[in-house]
Amino acid sequence: MKIAMIGWEYPPFKAGGLATHCYGLTRSLADKNVKIDFYMPKTKKSAHNDKSNLQIIEVGETEIFPYDRPDSKEIGGNFYEAVYYYNNLVVSKVEKNIKANGKYDAVHCHDWLTMKAGINLKEKWGLPLVLTIHSTEFDRSGWLYPNQWFIDLEREGMEKADRIIAVSHFTKRVIVDKYAINPDKITVIHNAVYPIPEGHKQEIVLFLGRLTIQKGAEFFLKAAQKVKDFEPDTKFVIAGTGDMLPRLISQAIDMGISDRVIFTGRLTEEEVKHIYGISSVYVMPSVSEPFGITALEAISAGTPTIASKTAGFSEVFNNCLRVDFWDTDEMANKIISLLRYDPLHRTLVKEGKSEVNLFTWDRVADKTIDVYNGVI
Amino acid sequence: MPSICLYFEVHQPLRLNRFSVFNIGNNIQNPIYFDSKLNQEIFEKVARKCYLPTNNLLLDLINRSDGKFRVSFSLTGTFIEYCKQYMPEIIDSFKELFKTGAVDMIEETYYHSLSSLYDEMDEFEEQVKLHRQMIKNLFNYKPRIFRNTEAIYDNRIAKKVSDMGYKGIITEGTEKILHWRSPNFLYKPINCNLKILLRNYTLSDDVGFRFSARLWKDYPLTAEKYAYWMAKNEGDLINLFMDYETFGEHHWETTGIFDFLNNLPNEVFKHKHLDFVTVSEAVARYEPVGEIDVPWAISWADEDRDVSTWLGNDMQKACFNELKNLGKKLKEKDDKDMLNTWRRLQTSDHLYYVSTKGMEDGAVHAYFSPYDGPYDGFINYMNILQDLKQRLD
Repeated sequence: MKIAMIGWEYPPFKAGGLATHCYGLTRSLADKNVKIDFYMPKTKKSAHNDKSNLQIIEVGETEIFPYDRPDSKEIGGNFYEAVYYYNNLVVSKVEKNIKANGKYDAVHCHDWLTMKAGINLKEKWGLPLVLTIHSTEFDRSGWLYPNQWFIDLEREGMEKADRIIAVSHFTKRVIVDKYAINPDKITVIHNAVYPIPEGHKQEIVLFLGRLTIQKGAEFFLKAAQKVKDFEPDTKFVIAGTGDMLPRLISQAIDMGISDRVIFTGRLTEEEVKHIYGISSVYVMPSVSEPFGITALEAISAGTPTIASKTAGFSEVFNNCLRVDFWDTDEMANKIISLLRYDPLHRTLVKEGKSEVNLFTWDRVADKTIDVYNGVI
Repeated sequence: MPSICLYFEVHQPLRLNRFSVFNIGNNIQNPIYFDSKLNQEIFEKVARKCYLPTNNLLLDLINRSDGKFRVSFSLTGTFIEYCKQYMPEIIDSFKELFKTGAVDMIEETYYHSLSSLYDEMDEFEEQVKLHRQMIKNLFNYKPRIFRNTEAIYDNRIAKKVSDMGYKGIITEGTEKILHWRSPNFLYKPINCNLKILLRNYTLSDDVGFRFSARLWKDYPLTAEKYAYWMAKNEGDLINLFMDYETFGEHHWETTGIFDFLNNLPNEVFKHKHLDFVTVSEAVARYEPVGEIDVPWAISWADEDRDVSTWLGNDMQKACFNELKNLGKKLKEKDDKDMLNTWRRLQTSDHLYYVSTKGMEDGAVHAYFSPYDGPYDGFINYMNILQDLKQRLD
């Protein structure tokens, strides 16, 4: 089986869960004897690869990331053109490889950015198209003012895809309800995680993610303010960057908690592992979270997690705490309980780690191969 | 000829209010720990679906059989408190059942607590006496048979129960204590003079758990089939012990559970060698055939049949220890309200909700739990225990 997979990011270059997913999936597929050509933009640090079945093929350069919005980038007016331009580059590269080495059995795209290329290749070469939806425009906009251009592009890809993989039942419902797609062609495959080692725990409550409206960091700050008087030694770390960073910093100052909150900015992969390892509590207050790989990463590092009730991973994961993202009283109640009640913390660490071990990329690859077999 | 001993546990816990860390120490005078709205709602729902219709049916069955159909009950103190507060007619209907002479009452701890597992047995004894007083007030009767919370049993508990004057005790007929032996006989503890009634868990769970399971090979279970199975059993006594909510609540009316119960006596009487006995009659009629040694506590809960249902993880142990320690302080004070609150918090259900057992048992736990999982259950319960502790200091 030979698959052309079109992605956007791949470790060490990484802005979000898409990179983690593509890394885990492609490596496990390669181990199961699926030949994968992974197409992605050229980056400053080349992706490392040691699997003979897996080729990372870099195509051109681009300034766009899958989490970008047209108004949050210097490219501004050129945004849409840049997307089309890049997709065309990918198509010509794939076609060149088809002509040189023969056809692929299927093409597999991830999210909106590469959909045009997938559609194009399906229509021109009759390749079955598989689409994984990691997030939709509704998630990324936090369900406020979604941008119609993205929605139209996503809908076109979903309609033309032979098979859609959704990372959760939550996302499947969005695809069915908001994009009017036939539920029968959607398969739910929950993500997996490569475990991260536990470090020497400190009294740190961690937020880690893009600082965008979707991820709900402002609710984390509100909860931090409520925890402050009860747990005077606790530090709150906000790791990551994004368009909301300046607003969050001034919010922390206005709340009088700037001495307790540390903004780290963007962290390297090593730094991310370190901070997961030494934190005592991880909070994921996302307004909309199709899956939430970071929660599983934190849990694997022995850090109990408080996640939004709607987060996709929690559909199939028991050993975490759940809150409504807007309920910062309950979020604070749970943060304090985790810091105060050692048996609670201990049990969540122990049970969480053993449950997280069930979420392997091997399992994701098996289920993805089933999907491929259904369209080839 | 085997006698059938039907016994029902009737219990409702006092579920807790949402109580966050921010509530601790806030309302020193009169904190509201119990969620009376939710409790009333659940109680009235279960009363309509189970208590009232099942009591009526049992009364009818007893009358129709001239008292040959016989059953036994254990009513917890918290259950009776609910009845008094919301539906006193349920108490009347139990009184009417008792008056037939075909109904026996079983003793237990008033609060359906784990006090039998404390280091000292004094709190256990007090709670049993409270229950004894309650049964005397309601039925003018002194029970002879004891059943500890969820049939928790070990040698120490047996000795205490025997010392308190009971003739028999009920527990689980698990292979853990029986090995190759049959549960269909009476046994005695190694260390005291008491008769042990052992639950026949296969036959009990056929009704309690499997009755409405469509994937079960014996689905649907008819009274005829069930009576035939019992007729084939050897031994003195078939002990069928189950939650009373089996009828109409765990299995809804639409599953045919009431028809099953309605037909059961007649189907049983078709087998001439079968009859029904109450727990007291079972103990009076039969003699123990062997001894049972239980150094570690067993129960009828979950697959493990031990106390791990309530004390299986660190969170449960922490709550249990906190609860025990509160008791030591409380007894030095003479505050009836606080003592009563502490005892209501001892109801075993509060710890049951904190269980993290996986798979099949976990699904059962989730069904009964008012919380979004064991961790929320722990936080809420522990916050309340902390508040009570602050009020004590």
